[in-house]
Amino acid sequence: MTLAPDEDLMLQVRDGAGETLGVLFDRYQTPLFNFYSKLTGDRTLSEDLVQEVFLRILKYRQSYRPGTPFRAWVYQIARNARIDHFRKFPPQTALEPEMLPPVLPTDSAQEQQEVELLQRALQQLPEEKREILLLCRFQELKYEEIAVLLGCELNTVRTRIHRALQDLRKAFHQLAHGTMLKKAEAAAAESIPPRGGRHEV
Amino acid sequence: MKCEHIAELLPDYLQGRLSAEQHHNVEAHLEQCADCSEEVVIWRKLSLLPVDQPDPASRARFEAMLQAYKAGRSNQPEGGTEWRKRASVWSWNVFHWLRSPLGAAAWGAALLAIGVFAGLRLAGPKPPSLDLAAMQSELASMKQLVVLSMLQQQSASARLEGVTWSTRDQQLDPQVLSALLHTLRYDASVDVRLAALDALSRHGRQPQVHKAILDSLQQQQSPLVQVALIDLLLEWRDPDAAQRLQALQQAPNLNPTVRQRVEWARSKLN
Repeated sequence: MTLAPDEDLMLQVRDGAGETLGVLFDRYQTPLFNFYSKLTGDRTLSEDLVQEVFLRILKYRQSYRPGTPFRAWVYQIARNARIDHFRKFPPQTALEPEMLPPVLPTDSAQEQQEVELLQRALQQLPEEKREILLLCRFQELKYEEIAVLLGCELNTVRTRIHRALQDLRKAFHQLAHGTMLKKAEAAAAESIPPRGGRHEV
Repeated sequence: MKCEHIAELLPDYLQGRLSAEQHHNVEAHLEQCADCSEEVVIWRKLSLLPVDQPDPASRARFEAMLQAYKAGRSNQPEGGTEWRKRASVWSWNVFHWLRSPLGAAAWGAALLAIGVFAGLRLAGPKPPSLDLAAMQSELASMKQLVVLSMLQQQSASARLEGVTWSTRDQQLDPQVLSALLHTLRYDASVDVRLAALDALSRHGRQPQVHKAILDSLQQQQSPLVQVALIDLLLEWRDPDAAQRLQALQQAPNLNPTVRQRVEWARSKLN
C-alpha cells in the first residue's frame, strides 16, 4: 500500500475535507516543530507556531494550486508565521545553551560530546545561516525550493549554504578547542600538589 | 582545483548532484584539503542532532482547533469564500492597530456605528439578505479580533476582560479557542488562567476541547487552577479521571492542599 502524496491530501483539504488535514498534521508536526525549536530554542513558542501554521493552512487553503509542492508551500507559511510573530513580539533574549534540548545518550561518549558541541555551534550562527542549514539538511528542501522560499537565485542558495557551513565549521572548531583547553586545565589543576605550609602566613 | 572552485561545487556534492567527473574532482581535492573535508564531515554530523518531540497534547490542541474551525464555518453564509478571503486579509492588517487601548476604544465606536447602520438597513425596505449575512459575519469576526487583541495585553485586567468577552458567543472561533488554551496554560496571572478555564469549560461538551482542558492539568503550577481542574474532572465524569489523578499525585513538589484534593477526588471516584 502506498501513502497518498501530500499534494493530493492538500487538494482534498482545499476542496472541503478538513479532517484530511490531520494526516498532514501527523506528517509535518515533528519536522515543523524541529524547524522552529532549532531556530528559536523555545519549545512553547515552537508548539504555538506549529498550530498557527495549520490554522493558516485552513484559512488560506483556497490559495493552494495543484502542482505546487506541498512541502515548499508549507515552509513558506511557516517562515511567514515566524516573521509575523517576531514582528509583533521582538525576541528579547538570545539563545542560551540551557534552552537547548537534552542530548540523548548515544553509543559513545565522544559522539555525544560532538553532538553537544555541534548544537552549540549551530546556535552561535546568525539566524539566516542557521535557517538555511535547517531547511536543506533537516527539512530536506531542494535548493530550487529554498531559492523560491528565500526569493533569491539558485546560485545564491549554493553560496549561502557553503558560507553557513564554513561558519559552522569554525564555530565548532573554536568550541572544541575551548573544551580541550578546559580539560587540560582541569587535568593540570588535579596534578598540582597542595601548597606547602611555608607559603602560608 | 582550488577551494574557491570547490565552494561552487560543494553544496551539490553534498546532495549527490554532481556529474561523475565533477564528483571525482571534488573527492580529489577533499583528500588534500583539511578545511574542505572537515566541512563535509560537519555536514554529515548534522544528521546526528537529536529530533525534538513535540508535546503529545499538541495533537488534541490541533483537533480542537480543527473542530472549532469547522463549527465556525458552518455558520458562515454560502458562497462567501471570496468575501471571507478579503475579510481575513483586512482583519490581519487591523490586528496590529487593535492592540492599542485607543484601537480598542475606536473599535467600540465602530461596532456601535455598524449596529446603527444594520438597524437602519433592517428597517429599510427589502434589505438584501446576503448583505445582512455578511454584516453578521463581519460583526462576529470583529468580536473575535477584540478578544484576541485583549488576550495579548500587558495588563492582567485587560486580559481578564478579553476572556470575559470570549464567553459572549455560543460558538468558539478556532483562533480564540487556541488563544484561550494558551492562556490557560501559560498566562502569568492565576486569575486570568482561572477565568480562561471557566470560559473553556462552557465548551467542554466538544470532546477535543474537553481533552485539551484536562491535558493541561499535568502542566499547571498554580494550586488554585489545579484544584479547579480536579473538580472539573469529577464533574465531567472523565473516563480517564483515575489515571489523570494518579499521574498528578506522583508529581514531585505537589502542593499539600492539592494533594489532599486529589486524595478526596480519588475517594469520590471509588
